[in-house]
Amino acid sequence: MIKASDVMKGTFILINNQPHVCTERDYVNPGKGSAFVRLKLKNIKTGSVLRQTNKVQDNLEDVSVEFRETQFLYADTENYSFMDTKTYEQFTIAIEGEEEKRNFLKDGENYQVVFWESTPIDIKLPTKMVFTVSEAEKAERGDTVSGATKVITCETGLKVKVPLFIKQGDRILVNTETGEYQERVNT
Amino acid sequence: MDTLLRQRLLRHAQFTGALRSFFNARGYAEVETPTLAPHLIPEPAIEVFQTDYLPARGPARPMWLVPSPELWMKRLLAGGSGNIYQISRSFRNGDFGSPHHNPEFRLLEWYTVGAGYLDSIGITEDLFTHLIAGRAAGRPPTELAPPFIRITVEEAFDRYAGIDLARCQEPAALTAAARARGITMSDSLTWEEAYHIVFLTAVEPRLPRGKPVVLLDYPSLVPTTARPKPGTPWSQRWELYVDGVEIVNCYTEETDSGALRSLVRHEEERRRGCRTSHAADAGFADLFPPGFPECSGAALGVDRLEMVFTGEKSLEGVILFPFSAIVDGQSSIHS
Repeated sequence: MIKASDVMKGTFILINNQPHVCTERDYVNPGKGSAFVRLKLKNIKTGSVLRQTNKVQDNLEDVSVEFRETQFLYADTENYSFMDTKTYEQFTIAIEGEEEKRNFLKDGENYQVVFWESTPIDIKLPTKMVFTVSEAEKAERGDTVSGATKVITCETGLKVKVPLFIKQGDRILVNTETGEYQERVNT
Repeated sequence: MDTLLRQRLLRHAQFTGALRSFFNARGYAEVETPTLAPHLIPEPAIEVFQTDYLPARGPARPMWLVPSPELWMKRLLAGGSGNIYQISRSFRNGDFGSPHHNPEFRLLEWYTVGAGYLDSIGITEDLFTHLIAGRAAGRPPTELAPPFIRITVEEAFDRYAGIDLARCQEPAALTAAARARGITMSDSLTWEEAYHIVFLTAVEPRLPRGKPVVLLDYPSLVPTTARPKPGTPWSQRWELYVDGVEIVNCYTEETDSGALRSLVRHEEERRRGCRTSHAADAGFADLFPPGFPECSGAALGVDRLEMVFTGEKSLEGVILFPFSAIVDGQSSIHS
């Protein structure tokens, strides 16, 4: 069991015997009553999203999961393929419901994958990742206005809004949760 | 040329100055009351910070950082202060896993004698107009400008949750109605718990955005010091939401000492569930003798207001040293 107040973003819990991952968590104390946590939960198997609010002291059923170090191999039209870096065992995770991760997965890069009862259920992205700019419009003279941005494309196809001084070949740090540009990386 | 930090500091000071100039110009007296106190308002839902006072003789005495200046301001009102306001440091302990919470925050409380809660909506609209005129808005002013949208809690439950709240005045009825609407409800909830679960799951997230929203006439079954609307299950209370963030809580203040005494008793019972228990002001109900003025009181989260006015998404954008950063040992300023 896990206390509702201990459920954080990324925590796995069981609802009606279905594993769910918490994707949003908001602590709310209306000040005039009890305290609550408002959760947004994604069903790992179906991808459907559930919103629920619990009293902080409610007990929820937690899921014991295992994190494995894996290498991302490739994506085809239906699945992501990974290899366990310890056992060299290969496995797939359906793209459906995980489409937004496609452009954060780099061939040959290591990622943690979450297993539940020997089934891979989730890909953990690092909070921040470095990408190389593969396509960017040339900056014009006078492009120094602070706050002005343009959209560039990275090697995985990821599109990111960046400051105007970023050019093709630059390496940039991107927040994988928001998809936002963080900074240029000097190499 | 000013550094970015200095520009930010000046903007921040100007914002606070504009709040003060608004109330000063309307004849409210600015007051200052204790932030460290030997007893607090009887509100068990609020977790507090406790410390010890070490007197010259005798044992240490527990003291608390106030979660709001309400108690002291009501003492002033009882003493004949007339209209008053304060921007106080207030403290709330416990979980703060949200971009809209900082355990130490600025609370603007103001009390208007002879006014009701609806009058306070007009005052708040005037305050927004004043802030916009002073160029406090770092976003399109039309998104903040009065008139505010007004929706009653009853209408909001009907519209966003499909629940007739007036007909669900028993815990079982409300729980059943919510389940019928697909909302997950645990067993044996109190009415107030069931109400908040529906509100937080189905109503609050669907409140209109892009204009300030006043949600008014809260259920009397959620006990507060707001005066009931006679002959209805509602109380004279409203809250203001901007971008879905709660900014102001306002009442027509209850002045009947009998009603306040029973509220204190009720809250005393519930306080046993708190992690840091605190002494409630035993004299709270006695603050309201027959001479206590009819008034409306409003509490406004200043940091949150500055956040929505400047268009920031998190309090970290307006608080110089956010708590989450200082407890992690980061004390540098991001500007």
